[in-house]
Order: sequence, then structure tokens, then C-alpha cells
Amino acid sequence: MLITDLLKPESIQLTLESTGKREIVSELAGLLQQTGALSDQAVFEASVLSREKESSTGIGFGIAIPHGKSEGVARPAIALGISRTGVDWDSIDDEDVTIVFMLAIPQHQPGNEHLKILQQLSRKLVDDDFRAALAEAASKEEIYALMAQIAI
Amino acid sequence: MKLLGITACPTGIAHTYIAAEKLSRAAKELDVEIKVETQGSVGTENVLTDKDIAEADGIIIAADKGVDLSRFAGKAIYECGTKDAVKDPKRLIQLFLDGTVVAPQASKKLKSVEEAKQEIRGKQNLIYRHLMSGVSYMIPFVVVGGLLIALALAIGGEPTPTGLAIPENSFWMHISDIGGAAFTFMVPILAGFIAYSIADRPGIAPGMIAGFIAANGSFYDSSAGAGFIGGIVAGFLAGYLALWIKRWKVPKMVQPIMPILVIPIISTLLTGAVFIFVVGKPIASLMNGLTEFLNGMQGSSSILLALILGAMISFDMGGPVNKVAFLFGTSMIGAGNVAVMGAIAAAICTPPLGMGLATLLRKNLYNKEEKEAGKAALAMGLCGITEGAIPFAAGDPLRVIPSLMVGAMSGAVIAMLGGVGDSVPHGGPIVALLGAIDNVLMFIIAIVVGTFVTAFCVNFLKDLKQRKDNVSNQKQAARE
Repeated sequence: MLITDLLKPESIQLTLESTGKREIVSELAGLLQQTGALSDQAVFEASVLSREKESSTGIGFGIAIPHGKSEGVARPAIALGISRTGVDWDSIDDEDVTIVFMLAIPQHQPGNEHLKILQQLSRKLVDDDFRAALAEAASKEEIYALMAQIAI
Repeated sequence: MKLLGITACPTGIAHTYIAAEKLSRAAKELDVEIKVETQGSVGTENVLTDKDIAEADGIIIAADKGVDLSRFAGKAIYECGTKDAVKDPKRLIQLFLDGTVVAPQASKKLKSVEEAKQEIRGKQNLIYRHLMSGVSYMIPFVVVGGLLIALALAIGGEPTPTGLAIPENSFWMHISDIGGAAFTFMVPILAGFIAYSIADRPGIAPGMIAGFIAANGSFYDSSAGAGFIGGIVAGFLAGYLALWIKRWKVPKMVQPIMPILVIPIISTLLTGAVFIFVVGKPIASLMNGLTEFLNGMQGSSSILLALILGAMISFDMGGPVNKVAFLFGTSMIGAGNVAVMGAIAAAICTPPLGMGLATLLRKNLYNKEEKEAGKAALAMGLCGITEGAIPFAAGDPLRVIPSLMVGAMSGAVIAMLGGVGDSVPHGGPIVALLGAIDNVLMFIIAIVVGTFVTAFCVNFLKDLKQRKDNVSNQKQAARE
């Protein structure tokens, strides 16, 4: 399985329209809904926000990874949004977030390949070079090429 | 340094792995080995083995949910959230590098006498260890000699104008002679085993022979021998010479005869020569002067001596200071002065007896463990083992040690003034049972007084502290 199996071009938003945490969650969830990854967008959003309440998913360096494991998810998927202005995400380093990865995980899904992919993505985000390249990516193609590095 | 980590977050999707990755990278930068177990949605990966845990210097638990810590009993553990590991993993590792996070103390229970002694032994320097090795081999000879001579005098002695004397050719004269034979080994054995401790087997012959020369003034034109000081000098001289020769680089052919021939002969000759031509006489006159000075000590100066000896014996309960005083007393027995050892014999047993009595007098000041240790201390005190007080002194040195010293000093002074003599290098009531004590009544009085003084002092000080604690507790309670 490749990460590109989870991240469809339609779920990438090169310039996020929203400027608030809550709104961005909705915007990206909307993209996932359009690809048919979600069965119930409202339920999924609620699970993402409740996870955010526990502790912010802003992991620093301008990256946030809101995620939800929910009955509202039909199949595992990733959405990616880039904010050109930066968003306050209560990140642990207090910096504004520019890159948002949203992870949708079904409550029940046979196998754990999708989880391993997400695990690899999480580990990859710690890599300075990877983050820098991602921040500079100007097109969906470039992002795709970067993402293709992640596989299991 | 080798660290272990466990990361876990509620959903186990992202933070578990980000935290793990952060820790691994930070460890690499700080040149620390780390293995991180991830407890995530995929299950537990990179599982820490028993071997990992055994080898680890510390464990970082970066988790936002419960992690079973039972595997890590007795290890240095730092617990935090995944957030902390993501945000500043280096700081977490630095905590271990700086020693800020340490393994929990096994428990605050009293150290046993053995443990405490072990700890002290670890800190002793080499010179002291060699000296004590020699002393420990010498003591049985002094005990046998002292006891047999004392017995012979007590049973077979007849009063003469100059004191008790054993009639020539009587049965008890032979017993006394056996004791005398034991005494003649005292200094050679001391020197021999100091040298043995330093240089191993090649040191024994030069050490013993040099010790024998040291003990016999006739070798160097002196009426008196160089005594135990001479023995110590001889032992160290022979030992270090032998050790030095042992390290010579010699052809392979010569090697087998080094320990049995070359080393003993050269070091014996050199040490013997040094004694005969250089240090023998000065040390002998020093020893002689010391003995005469002590024999001449009466009244106030003997009280001062008893005070010093009592303080030294009880100060570290079997440690170096104690042993110096003890060695001094032992050597004085060899020189015919049993009063010094008499004072020491009383001081030896008052610390454990006093602590034992203290736990009986004021039960509320001591916890269960201390009461148990108190009973053991009583038994050890009766047998003349000062170390019985160590568990108490280790737990509360500021209150216990001064009390022990005051008690031991009072005991020693009473024994000195009461004319108590002890002809074996050992203390406590048991020596009286062996018949080695002159003036048993005063000896018992000295011990009883010293014991009570110790117990009262220590209970007084502990009581003060308890009251102070109570007051501050009440204040605290009032404030809250």
C-alpha cells in the first residue's frame, strides 16, 4: 500500500480558504466527503474535534495532524491543506500552523496497513528536510512526488 | 548511556510515532543509545525485552494513557506526555544525562551492619586496607597470648611485694610461657600480612622476617624492640618493595623463580638492612618513650587519654578512627600495659548497649525496625561488637554519634580510674567472662554507666526533635 492510495488529489487543498481551526477541520472533512471516504461527515468531525480537545494535534514546526477514528469513516483516507496565512492551532510550540494533514480512520477496518502508512507519515513529519520540501511544494504533483517516498 | 522509551497516545495514530521518532533523533544527536517501544493502534511494536530493561540506565515514558510500569521496578523512570517528547525530546534525555532522574531508593529501611560496613569498606583507601588486613591476622595471636597469660596469673599467681607472680617451673608458668610464645608472633604476623595484602604471597616472607627484626631490638643494638609501629613500617616497606620487584620486566626463563626466590630474597635483604642500619633504633626509642609515657600517666592525664580513646572508639564504630584507638590498645597489651585496653574495652560495648537500652526505654521514639535493631545491638554489645550501633548512627548521625561518644567517654574514664585492665584485644562484658579483665566490678560499673549515659543522651536529643517536629506540624496544620 502506498500513501497515495489514501491521499487522493481531490483531497489536497493548496490554499485553504478557512482561517480558523474548526473551519479548517470542516473544509478538509468536506473534501474527504466528496471522495466518498466518509459515511457521515458530522460524526467524523465531532470525533476529530473531541480529539483536539484532549490535546492539540499541532505538533510544532507549522504542522497539525487532526485525526479521528470514527463510525463516520467509510474507508481510510488523508486530506492535506496548506494555509498561506497560518492558523492558530494551540500548537505545542505556539507557532501558527501552515500544513494540515487530516487523517480519517474507520472504526472497524480489517488489517492494519492503513495504520502503518499513517505511522510512517507521522514519523516522516519529524524529518526537517521533508517538512521543508513540503512547505515549498507549489503544485499537487510536487506534493505527490514527496508523498510517494512514504510506503510500507 | 542506554535509555529506553515507551510512547503511547489515546488514538495511537500519530503522536505515538511522532514522539518515538523525536526521541530517537534527539538521542542520536546527544550520542545516547535509545530504543523506543510504541504502543499504538497497530499494536505494540519494537517491544522492550527483559535484556533491554536490565541494561537500561533509564526509561522515558511519554504517554497520554496508562502504561504498565511493573516491568521497570527499581529503574530510573521519567513520566510525561507525548507532547513533551514531541516538543523537547532533548530535555528529557538530558534529565538522565544530568542525573536529575535517578532510580528510586530501594527503601528507606535501616541498613544492616553488613551493608553499612560494606559501604564504608568501599570508601577506604588502600593503605588502611593493608593495615587492617595485617591487624586482623594479628589479633588471634594477641588474644591467645593475652588470655593465657591472664589466666595463668589469675589462677596460678601468688602475691609478692611487686604484684602477682607465677612461681618458676609451676604448671601455670608453662601456660604463661605458651601465651608468651603467642605474643612473640604478634609483630611478625602484623608485618607479614600487611606485606601479603600489598604484594600477595611473595610479600609474606620478607614481611614476617622484617617484622621479627623490628620486634627484636638486639638486631639493631637496642634494648627495646620497635614494637607495633616497627611492625607496620616493616610490613609496608617489605610489601611495597616486593610489589615493585614483582613488576620488573624479566626474561621468561627467570619468571618462574621470581615469586619464590628473587622477590623474597631481595626484599627481605633490603628491608632487613633498612631496619638494622636506619630506622630500627629511632622507632624503638619512640615506642619505648610512648610506653613509658603511658605507664607514667596518672590522674588527670590518664583521664584525658581515656576521654580521647572513648571518643575515638565510638566515633565511627569499627571504622578507621576506631581501629587506630583499638590498635593502640592492642599494642599496649603487647608492651605490658593493660589499662589502655581496659578503658577501650568499656568504650567498645557502650554504643550498641546504649542504643539497645534507648529503644527499650522510650519505645515511642523508635519504629519497629529500629526496635528490632535495638535487640540485635544489645546482643552485639554484650559480645563487644561496636558495629551494632551503626544502623542507628547511619539513620540519624547528628543525634546518635554525639550520644555514643559521650557514653563511651564516660565508660572509658570510669574504667581508667577504676584500674580496669584488659589483656585481650577485645571489649564488652564477654571479655570479663573469659577472665581477661582485672577489676571486673569497676569494669561492669563503667559499662553500665556508659550505657545509661548513651541511652539518656540519645533519647533526650530524639525527644527534642520529635517535639520540634510536632510543633511545626501543628503550625502547618493551623496554616492550612
